Amino acid sequence: MLFSSVGFLFRFLPIFMIVYLAVPAKYRNYVLLVGSLVFYGVGEPYFVLLLMGSVLVNYGLSRYMFWEPKSPQKNRKLKAKKRRKRALILACVFDLGTLFVFKYWDFVAGNVNGITGNQLLPILSLALPLGISFYTFQMLSYQFDCYWGIVSKRAGLVAYSNYICMFPQLIVGPILRYGEVADRMAERRIRVRDLENGLKLFAVGLGIKVLMADRISTLWNTIMTAGPGNLHVSVAWMGALAYSFQIYFDFWGYSVMAMGLGKMLGFRIPRNFDDPYTSRSIAEFWRRWHITLGSWFRDYIYIPLGGNRKGDMRTICNLFIVWVLTGFWHGADWNFVLWGLVFFLLISLEKKTYGKWMERSGVLGHIYTLLIIPVTWVIFAISDMSQLAAYLGNMAGIYAGRVMVGTEQFIRYLKDYGILLIVCVIFITPFPKKWYHRYKDRWFMVLFLFAIFWWSVYEIVVGSNNPFLYFRF
Amino acid sequence: MIKQKMRRLLENVYNCPYLILIMVSSVIVMISFDEIGVRLVDHIITNDRTISVVGDIVKAEEHQTQGEVPVMVEEIQDTGIQDALNQNMISENLQENPENAGERKEETTGIEDENALNIEIETYETPEIQEEIVKGTTKFLPYTPLEIESRYYSDAGKIALTTEYPYVLENDSYFNDAAFLGDSRTLGIYDYVGLDGADFFCDNGMTIFKLLKDDGVTEQGTGQKVDLKKVLQERQYGKIYIMLGMNELGYGNTTMYLQEYMSVLKQIREWQPTATIFIMANLHISREKNNMATEFNNININDKNVASARLANGTDIFYLDSNPMFTDSEGFLLSDLTFDGVHLYAKHYDKWRQFLMEHGVERGDSAAVAVPAADGSDINNAAAAVEADGTEGTQTADVAPAPVEGVQ
Repeated sequence: MLFSSVGFLFRFLPIFMIVYLAVPAKYRNYVLLVGSLVFYGVGEPYFVLLLMGSVLVNYGLSRYMFWEPKSPQKNRKLKAKKRRKRALILACVFDLGTLFVFKYWDFVAGNVNGITGNQLLPILSLALPLGISFYTFQMLSYQFDCYWGIVSKRAGLVAYSNYICMFPQLIVGPILRYGEVADRMAERRIRVRDLENGLKLFAVGLGIKVLMADRISTLWNTIMTAGPGNLHVSVAWMGALAYSFQIYFDFWGYSVMAMGLGKMLGFRIPRNFDDPYTSRSIAEFWRRWHITLGSWFRDYIYIPLGGNRKGDMRTICNLFIVWVLTGFWHGADWNFVLWGLVFFLLISLEKKTYGKWMERSGVLGHIYTLLIIPVTWVIFAISDMSQLAAYLGNMAGIYAGRVMVGTEQFIRYLKDYGILLIVCVIFITPFPKKWYHRYKDRWFMVLFLFAIFWWSVYEIVVGSNNPFLYFRF
Repeated sequence: MIKQKMRRLLENVYNCPYLILIMVSSVIVMISFDEIGVRLVDHIITNDRTISVVGDIVKAEEHQTQGEVPVMVEEIQDTGIQDALNQNMISENLQENPENAGERKEETTGIEDENALNIEIETYETPEIQEEIVKGTTKFLPYTPLEIESRYYSDAGKIALTTEYPYVLENDSYFNDAAFLGDSRTLGIYDYVGLDGADFFCDNGMTIFKLLKDDGVTEQGTGQKVDLKKVLQERQYGKIYIMLGMNELGYGNTTMYLQEYMSVLKQIREWQPTATIFIMANLHISREKNNMATEFNNININDKNVASARLANGTDIFYLDSNPMFTDSEGFLLSDLTFDGVHLYAKHYDKWRQFLMEHGVERGDSAAVAVPAADGSDINNAAAAVEADGTEGTQTADVAPAPVEGVQ
């Protein structure tokens, strides 16, 4: 179930909230767990079993980590350490193995078959369980935190299951740490004010997703429909820009909705985006884009590998590993690896040469980031390598044959999407956030958000039930 | 105590205007549109329809939609046929029953000949010219239709093939007196085929119902919204290409589409007595995009195509099917040729250009003179062709067809 669906907004959410608020506080964790499983199960009736299985296995292993035999033993500490290590390795194998089978098997098998020229490995064509990349990382984070003693007191089964499955963050994050929700999981008070502010935040997120991301996505689709190779430079860049907006507002909208829902349930869900497009370097961009993922890779991969404390060679090597994995995490295809490698290259270069200078320079840094980021998103968006090359060629003014989508179409697109593009530009700046926080309790803002909510609902209803009105040919 | 509680409640209400607003409005909406989504959409679309397109009969029928869908479909089809009969004096039922096709063969042939004879007598003055006229035929390839439960379409049970005719290979200048009317795919032809001499009247989301509305369509090149009625009265075109049907997939039903198509052609013929009209098949969609759970699938597209192909008479109205160039053996648009499963990549429009050039029609002056101006009998001629398909459907075709049976 998606947040931006009628089923969620007018069926699941009201019923869930009524039950959640009606039951005594001590039962709320049970209600939340059942609600979350229903939320997931409606869309993924079989994979909900996989999710529950994974939760149980991981919980069992974490219990094993904390397990202390009653009878006194020799080398107790050593044995405990060994046990913890064993549990951690088992958890990693299980979690990454599941992720690999569902997400990466076909990619690996396809490549192996392609290289050897035989049908060595079968292609499974499994559907990808919704949110598996996110919840797997969250499970791993818990295991590592237990192993390192960051989580010192083991969680109860319901609390742990809720930490993984809680519906506001189950499907697209943010990737939580157990420490961020532990105290609220044990005890939380829900004030009416939280409901009010959470709902407002949710409406903001919904508006960003439905009224901005979904609409600007049609510009990118229109340009891709014409096909890379024959796009004029201006159109190619317009498309790249449109996709950059689309992916940001889509993801940011979801994260804001998650924050809003979290607030309504009595949790504090950390923000995932901090105006990333106003960064002055690529490294800074990644500190502000999908913050919870970046910090996950930092804390669980980069720093354990030695970070930047073991000399230049090791630093570069660690960065390489982190960015290849980051690329792979986003998708099982070569373009994602390439996408990760581009970031590895840029961030290494920045670290060693111009990064500090860029960040201090101000305007130049902004221009640099705004020129690079759309190019990286194009790499992210197009999986077909020849098409990707053609598109990047178009962005550089290299055409395959004659230009078919030229200035005339550019002007037409500008007419159709001009206002939306301006709104998008305003929303990548920090100002809308500031205005929201300053005026969120004023009447005009309340009415504005009310209008945004219902406008979004209108768009969802019209769009989802009748693609012919929404997606016109 | 109660007072205190009331005060706290009021305070809360005052402090949470947003929560209250959303809650109250949601409850109102959920009560008034109980099946929110379904009902709301029906509401929006019904309103939209009553304002826009179809005649009063349809409007009345729309209101019946809410309850019994299957009954409604039949009603619409019946009245649709009645209408068609009245308008066009066709003595046979439009909706063909494939099982009876064989039986009715002789009957329809007879009628077709009679009609054709009548028209020839009415229109052509000298017997010499009559002999010069080459009449194309539009063939239909039958297959076993699927049971479709939809208010929007049924399985036509046959595929319309490009009208057979001695087409001439033309060059760019052939299109200098051409007009293209259509939706986003026609916009694609404008954008990527580069027929600079022709006029293009097309928009994303264009339908046959909207085509002749006041200021309803954009003239590409100028970017101005124009009234096609006026344009077609003011300018004379030698060829008019029409490709519409995609945005009608989830709108009304195929009979309504056919009716509207007929009346649009009748109108155009009135204003453009000498133009050759080309009805272009709607391009199929890819396997990934094909969705039998919705009305967005190739069976529906084929239903619309077959309907419009029935209007081709082979003398001044032709049906051109470009699908075989772009589809696989099961009739799906090849996924290599498209990003969204609906539109071709820009570079593949060259093939389409070639196709249009290869299908030039040179009717000469005699034909132009021969066509009656304003009485619309030419469309009757087309209507006669509608019946002809029963006869000719069984013939095998030499054009590689794009069968739709495999679409599940």
